[in-house]
Amino acid sequence: MRRRLIAGLALAVVASTVAACGSDKDSSGSGGSSGGVDKVKVGVIPIIDVAPLYLGQSKGFFKNRNIELTMEAGQGGAAIVPGVVSGEFQFGFSNLTSLMIAQTKNVPIKAVAAGVASTNAQGKDFGAVVVKAGSPIKTAKDLAGKKVSVNTLKNIGDTVTRESVRKAGGDPSNIQFVEMPFPNMQAALEKGDIDAAWVVEPQLSTIKAAGGREVASTFVDAAPNLTIAAYFTSQKLLSENADLAKRFTEAVNESLTYADGHPDEVRQVLSTYTKIDEKTRAAVVLPKWPVEINKTSAQTLAELGTKDGIFASAPDLNKLLP
Amino acid sequence: MTSARRGNPVLLGFAGLAGLLVILELLPRLGLVKDRYLPPASRIVAALADEAGTAAFWRALGDTLYAWAIGLLIAVAAGVLAGLVIGSVPVLRALTASTVEFLRPIPSVALIPLAVLLYGTRLGSTLLLVCYAAFWQVLVQVLYGVADVDPVAEETARSYRFSTWGRVRYVLWPTALPYVFTGVRLAASVALVLAITAELVIGAPGLGKEIATAQNSDAVPTMYALIVVTGALGVLINLLTRTGERRLLAWHQSVRGEVAI
Repeated sequence: MRRRLIAGLALAVVASTVAACGSDKDSSGSGGSSGGVDKVKVGVIPIIDVAPLYLGQSKGFFKNRNIELTMEAGQGGAAIVPGVVSGEFQFGFSNLTSLMIAQTKNVPIKAVAAGVASTNAQGKDFGAVVVKAGSPIKTAKDLAGKKVSVNTLKNIGDTVTRESVRKAGGDPSNIQFVEMPFPNMQAALEKGDIDAAWVVEPQLSTIKAAGGREVASTFVDAAPNLTIAAYFTSQKLLSENADLAKRFTEAVNESLTYADGHPDEVRQVLSTYTKIDEKTRAAVVLPKWPVEINKTSAQTLAELGTKDGIFASAPDLNKLLP
Repeated sequence: MTSARRGNPVLLGFAGLAGLLVILELLPRLGLVKDRYLPPASRIVAALADEAGTAAFWRALGDTLYAWAIGLLIAVAAGVLAGLVIGSVPVLRALTASTVEFLRPIPSVALIPLAVLLYGTRLGSTLLLVCYAAFWQVLVQVLYGVADVDPVAEETARSYRFSTWGRVRYVLWPTALPYVFTGVRLAASVALVLAITAELVIGAPGLGKEIATAQNSDAVPTMYALIVVTGALGVLINLLTRTGERRLLAWHQSVRGEVAI
């Protein structure tokens, strides 16, 4: 009898510790306000693109609007859209193609602010297709039928690369796209596993410094002043806390403008959340951070993506963009 | 004789480590491997020194150790309790055997998608993976330990009318303890592996995430420096659990035997 009692008690303790094992103390999550200050978590990828957010935070642009900002920097953007929809993050940062894919699948999200844009300067943009030194590939036209790496298949990388090839008079239909993380592309290029790589900063600078050559400024080719990414939120938050969304947009816009006007401070803030060394920090091409989402360029991106078959149906930009 | 025997392995160990460092320094310098992909040891050490000067590094180290310790603690507590209960009640043992054998081989990393769904990039994700992996290590060892109880000792205790608690305290526990320690030692290493993996793959705060950030930033020497730190952490944890085991089990034959040989 007593033995059974002890066994039962011990089992109960086990059950509760196992339950505690999974639990988490700081599961606030829902962006509750305390003392008029909204706690806001933004899902970001820790790359150069989101530097304005870190800069704006240190300048107090968010605090001024009663927003206590934290950046949740995960690996890769795949978790950001689900994170925003589930309420884990109040806002997120994602490229427009990913947002359009989500929109065509009726995921309830909406862009609230511009994220990052092309510099619109040929050969001086923060993303490009590169080849290794001595490669027979001279222009985008030569990429036809070649192996090109992108960080995510069926996303913005292959869309803009195809457009570069098309504009150079090549046939983009038989390019073999290979998926791999940006940091792996240099080694793959040098080993000859791929013929060309679609990369962004800081890998673009590193590859160029090692003798690599740029063959296409893909963002510039895709559309004039292409908006590449945006900050977005869930329809739920928009309907329940429109005021917070409005304040967040204002703070982001102020941050974007400030970042665009203070490139030195941007390079400085990179040291706080990336490990890009000082030399590379000084050398990287910074993107543009306009406040407006360029709707014409977004429309072009949508049309190109539809032509590629990335979207199940044409994205409805009126529903997605602010 | 014994002191020479004890001194030598340490010296030899250091000599081995020094040799490794020299090889790591020479390989890239002689152009056998590209220094962009494997920088010479001196540059890795320099990067390590730089890292040690940043608050972010110590915060990451703290995060990793915190997740490791909490996860291990929960797993050990749950594993020992569950092991004692399941092991000492034959019906429970028979009832759970197939379930344990089904769940135990599931690699913890396979639970990453689940962890991300439940906890995103927070500490909970790391804890889930660490607890799951470490729990089975302890549980299985404790089950073996309980099964190892000498039936004669058990019967003797019964005939002397030891209470249930008395039998657990004086018969079951001393027999199971060496197994528990083996379980803890295995779990401690596994917990570290899983903590780093969760941080690396999911992006939960800690050393693993710093490694991923260094990789994304093309900071190759820093990346290696952080990998060296995780290695050193593994060695330290192993030393710690071994020392703890030797101290706390000094009375036990397994440890006394180790010294005599």
